[in-house]
Amino acid sequence: MLRADVLVVGAGPAGCVAAWEAAAAAPGLDVLLIERDDAVGAPVRCAEGVGSAGLREFLNPDGAPWYSRKITKVIFWAPDDSEVRVGGGDIGYILDRTRFEPALADEAKRVGAEIWTGTEAVGMERLNGGWKVRLHGPRGEQDVLAKLVIGADGVESMVGRWAGLDTRVAARDMESCAQYVISNIAVDPDAIYLHFADRWAPGGYAWVFPKGVGVANVGLGLVALKSDGRSACAYLDAYAARYFPDGEVLGRTVGGVIAGVTVKQAVADAVMLAGDAAHMINPLSGGGIVNAMKAGRLAGRHAAAAIAAGDTSARRLNRYRDDWMALLGEDHIKYYRIKEALGKLDDAFFNRLARTVNAIPVEQRTLGRIFAHALVNHPRLIPVAARLFL
Amino acid sequence: MPPAPPRRIAAVDHDACDECGLCLPLCPPAAIRLTRRGLAVDAKTCTGCVKCIAPCPVGALAMVDA
Repeated sequence: MLRADVLVVGAGPAGCVAAWEAAAAAPGLDVLLIERDDAVGAPVRCAEGVGSAGLREFLNPDGAPWYSRKITKVIFWAPDDSEVRVGGGDIGYILDRTRFEPALADEAKRVGAEIWTGTEAVGMERLNGGWKVRLHGPRGEQDVLAKLVIGADGVESMVGRWAGLDTRVAARDMESCAQYVISNIAVDPDAIYLHFADRWAPGGYAWVFPKGVGVANVGLGLVALKSDGRSACAYLDAYAARYFPDGEVLGRTVGGVIAGVTVKQAVADAVMLAGDAAHMINPLSGGGIVNAMKAGRLAGRHAAAAIAAGDTSARRLNRYRDDWMALLGEDHIKYYRIKEALGKLDDAFFNRLARTVNAIPVEQRTLGRIFAHALVNHPRLIPVAARLFL
Repeated sequence: MPPAPPRRIAAVDHDACDECGLCLPLCPPAAIRLTRRGLAVDAKTCTGCVKCIAPCPVGALAMVDA
């Protein structure tokens, strides 16, 4: 039977970085990264926005071919369409994930990880202290015996379920998202737009993330329990018709964003979950790319250390979850409480807030100040500050 | 005695489904699988709880008689 020290399931940001870090931490470690799709990075199911600081911990964007736009402004649209501009600088990037993930995968390859595309895991069972994982792919059907499995298999994760972990999501924590790539639209190509309005995206928000001049990812996420029964795609059709009637739709995608908190059990014996598979998403923003990379880095390092120590028990691997909770997981619990508080506020509140904030000179307008104004009425919003959206 | 009503389970419209995987973590008994061949609901495991139906972004899931 084929053998691997670490089998990483899923070559998204979490899996690529996990494979990269595990192989880099221990030269000679056999790291196999498998991806169900035929190409790493496609199809894209994402708005592709990342914060600059988080991104730079992993790859240097200066002059890189894997991003579409550099973002220097954030523009909020209130429910009544009034606009609030927030000041600039090095805010973030809109990636081209069809090139970004291959760049991450190249880093994993460079340090010795092997990558098989078009290969899916279809089941796994315990064997010899590790896991026997059944693979389907271009090499046919085969089993691989892995000392440790990292499940980086996204929102649809099965690795956790096969390992007996509870990765179910309550409907109230699932954002149903739809996104079009639309051209021939007049938006600021250096800004991201976030539009909060119950009638357009109940329980979530709509976004415009530029991919180029006149081209953007236009999408929205909503909570179905709060919707009027229409699908996310139907909401987006209405939104695009209202705001971008002359736009040309170049591409469509849909997907789910888990806007909850990290799973209680992110590890089992010889199994770790990372990224969306472990619900490691900022529940306020729905952002998950940098989170996934940070989780992948921790998972890869802990995997290498656990194998070197000859102890892949859940008890030892829990150090990974502890590190994650200290790094970001505890913050997500706070953000989740804020999300619940925001969910109780109505459109009228956000319209009033927009008017108040627009009274502040734009050069003094920071997310912190905006929230300071929100706090006058709602002190529970205090910890949000500038880390809110990217 | 009237016959028992037929059991209702989720079914996927493969033409509409975009295979995004959103419904998988919503399914309590893990009756939905996503493979390279598409999305599949296991009729034996599905309990008919309807949790997967409304959140589908393209409306590809519906309840049918088992």
